[in-house]
Amino acid sequence: MDFGLVYPALVAGRLLLAFAPLPDALKHDHQLSSPLTSYPRLQEGVYLFQHGIDPYSGGLFRHSPLLLSLFSTALPLNKFTSACLWTACDAISAWALVKIWRARQRVSQSSRDSLIAAIYLLNPYLLLPTLALSTSTIENMLFLLSLMFASQGQSSPSLLALALLVQLSLPSAIFIVPMILLLLSDPVSRLASPREFNTYLSSILAKLGLWWYFFTEMFDHFRPFFLMVFSAHLLIYVLPVCLKFQHDILYATYILAGVYATFKPYPTLSDPGLFISLISLFPETYQYLRYPIVTTLLHLHSALLLPLFHHLWLSQGTGNANFFYASTLVFGVSNGAALLDAIWAGLRIAVGNLPEGYELIQK
Amino acid sequence: MAAVLQAVRARLRRLLGTDENGTVMKIRRRNQFNNFIWKSLPIIRLILLVAGYAWMLAIPLPNLGRKTYIDENALQPGQVNTYWNWPDVLRADRYLADLEGLRDRNASSAEQAAYIVDEFKKLGIPSATQAYSFTGTSGVSNGTNAYAIHSSPRASGAEAILISASRISRTGDLNLRGISTVISLAAYLKGSSLWAKDLIFVISDDHLLGMQAWITSYHGSEQSGLVADPLTLSSGVIWTALNIDYPGHSFSHLGVFFEGLNGRLPNQDLINSFGLISVYTGGVPILLYDHRDPREVPHLESKLSIIPSWLPEIVKKQDAVKEYGFRAKNILRHVGYQARGQTSGVHGLLHRFRIDAITLFAVPATGPHGFHAIGRIIESTLRTMNNLLERLHASFFFYLLVLPSTFLKIGTYLPSVILVSVSMMFTGLGEWVDARWYQPKQSSIEEKAANGQAKSEAIPRPRPVLKALSIVLLTHLAGIALFYLRTLSLASGSETMSLLLFFLMASVPLIALTAHPSPPQAVAPLSKTLKAFNLCFASTVISVTSVLNFSLAAALAVSLGVPLSYSSPSRSSLGIKLAGYTIYAVLGFGWLVLCRKEVQEAIWNWEVLGAWFALFVCIIYSPLVLQAAIVSVLPP
Repeated sequence: MDFGLVYPALVAGRLLLAFAPLPDALKHDHQLSSPLTSYPRLQEGVYLFQHGIDPYSGGLFRHSPLLLSLFSTALPLNKFTSACLWTACDAISAWALVKIWRARQRVSQSSRDSLIAAIYLLNPYLLLPTLALSTSTIENMLFLLSLMFASQGQSSPSLLALALLVQLSLPSAIFIVPMILLLLSDPVSRLASPREFNTYLSSILAKLGLWWYFFTEMFDHFRPFFLMVFSAHLLIYVLPVCLKFQHDILYATYILAGVYATFKPYPTLSDPGLFISLISLFPETYQYLRYPIVTTLLHLHSALLLPLFHHLWLSQGTGNANFFYASTLVFGVSNGAALLDAIWAGLRIAVGNLPEGYELIQK
Repeated sequence: MAAVLQAVRARLRRLLGTDENGTVMKIRRRNQFNNFIWKSLPIIRLILLVAGYAWMLAIPLPNLGRKTYIDENALQPGQVNTYWNWPDVLRADRYLADLEGLRDRNASSAEQAAYIVDEFKKLGIPSATQAYSFTGTSGVSNGTNAYAIHSSPRASGAEAILISASRISRTGDLNLRGISTVISLAAYLKGSSLWAKDLIFVISDDHLLGMQAWITSYHGSEQSGLVADPLTLSSGVIWTALNIDYPGHSFSHLGVFFEGLNGRLPNQDLINSFGLISVYTGGVPILLYDHRDPREVPHLESKLSIIPSWLPEIVKKQDAVKEYGFRAKNILRHVGYQARGQTSGVHGLLHRFRIDAITLFAVPATGPHGFHAIGRIIESTLRTMNNLLERLHASFFFYLLVLPSTFLKIGTYLPSVILVSVSMMFTGLGEWVDARWYQPKQSSIEEKAANGQAKSEAIPRPRPVLKALSIVLLTHLAGIALFYLRTLSLASGSETMSLLLFFLMASVPLIALTAHPSPPQAVAPLSKTLKAFNLCFASTVISVTSVLNFSLAAALAVSLGVPLSYSSPSRSSLGIKLAGYTIYAVLGFGWLVLCRKEVQEAIWNWEVLGAWFALFVCIIYSPLVLQAAIVSVLPP
């Protein structure tokens, strides 16, 4: 299907959806936006700022000063502008994704463009947070823009977008190293290229837990230590992943996006959404994914159980926090399973098709 | 010595697979294990399915479960002296006489509401009426509620207890004695100053509609189609509520009805405290619903028991069998309410606002109890509810009451449905894996003999994921369209419309008969992939609903388990294919034609009360069966 037809159609559809009368409860939903990205808080902060009160003094407003200055001066926030702006962010992100694909394949257009745009614009993990007006949409756009400029070799726009992204969300600092490496190399796929195997494939064990429950159980005087540990945890993935995938830095960025989605302090649904949408850039790995249906089913279960247990705990009152915590653990496991699939596929593809009578094991 | 150590080390190395031969052994063992699992998959599926169903049948077994107990220590049921006595009974009789007079004069409900408000005002309790009107696809209903609020004399009135009686009882008769009890209770209760919570007395119109109008106005929640006057009197947050349903003259037992909308149950402590108080303070035995134990009334045993009469006498005589039958009857009644998301009484409308509520049904009999007993029991229960300092949270919210004082915890009944769901998941995953490999047929036996040990090579092939996903999406969209069409006002009550919808839904997917089989070595058959998605999704739905509404999940497991797991594209003639398809079509859409009264009720529940059952059946259940039907007509 022609990209020139499909893309505007999808964007128009998204725009219509953004203007449709949606329940207000979406903006307050905890899976779609976190305290760092919530739209009502953004509105509150802008209002306080415009009335001369410091919005950061209350602990309510945790967005970046960039957003504060943008929405209090250049772009007023109301129903019309926010619907347009958020749809535009998603449209730009989808377009950037298509450009990254084209740069990777070294073509100016291809038949998969429409599919990639559709995967981004119709992904429910990304659609729902945009409808909830979560600022994670803007963060995703900046990430994809930075990646696009890096794939095209334009260092200034890429680093500018990256700088803006890190300003908005500090854990994105893990993307600094791979982005610089990507600028120094080019994004063509070299996953399957023959190279020397001097290390065995090692299985990665990821301990998945979620910040908030852990921190509720912890004694106060240990908090700074664990905060440091959890923050440093994100950083320790940068170097190993970049080293292992130094031949294909775009894939390393993709893996790090998965790590970011799983381990960042205030995850929402848009982070795994970005990771899952990025998979469309690497169709060569599909046949080497280890258990894609298990990962899909895990994601399906957790996507259904998260709002159910949240409702059972906070609205209906018949469940308690442990139900919700268990479902967040399942969500963490599903993200981890997706990460493992991606890493396995990225490394397995180099071995290629096994001749008859040969088996592949891990030691 | 050293040689022994060497031998042991070599053996360990081989076992752990850390040497050359060990690696080979490790690979071989892994392959053997995978082959074993793969070959025994059909047996595993069957065992899990049978185990799940057997567990479900085992739920009503006698000696399972434990006796109910009070978990919230603040409740202290049955510890108070009650002072409700014959003067209060006399007052209730007077109110009853007035209400019967109104009934004999064919007075409208507005007149009755005016009378009730008048009586409350005479007692000195502030009261008012509320008129409401509901417009839905089945017509317009009007009514008037009457309510009174007695503020607690010494406390701030931040919380409240609701005592209600509806005009129409659950049996369809007028709930005259229930209303008299409530008014008389109001007169009696306002005499004491120990209430920590406000007491709200509501006489709602109709059976469910009046209370729906009242409670939604009280909490300020809007509802389309329902226009109700705003309430002029207000009070605090309601934590607990009692609904009195007393249609007959006297009663022998008090029945407890506790199911709420969409499978919600109240905290078990409320039922348990009421049970204790009824037996020990009031001397009235309690029942679940209105089920009397057949063992207690031998002369009615054949009528009350659900044990089939064709069983041999020697089996029917066993006490264990009788107990099993009684427990099963209680469970089936419960499942009937909970699976349909229906409430078993007026109390169910209150659960939405986090109010724990039950209905007390005075089982009509020539029996010994009347106003005196029920008044004392309610007084003591209200005193117990008055003791609460925080909402009921200690006892269970997920339980299965099998006898009035025996219940099953969630771990005893939930795994049955999960086993069925796991079996369906394994089937789905098996189909998915199977779809990937193409096994070319052996051309002749002698070639096989010539090749010796060689097994036929399985060629991997891509699976039509996008096509199967789009079929799944289309079936669900069809379900949404079906729901929309069926809830149109012109469809309500019309038999032809139901038949039309049935034939529409059943015939459109027959387009799949025209699909050409794709070459099996190039791409996996669509039927296999669709079946895989169908089963995985159905399994997910069953698992996820089991935590929210166990009866619905059990109903799904029973109706979907076998048909979906064993759907298969048949290679035989068109006739057999169509026969199989018809079975699925009837399973998935037959309810449109066969259960029209049920469908009407479900739609009414959706419009008025917000029960999800109608939506669920149209959007989830029917599309799942439809997908299995499509699998059976696709080329293999």
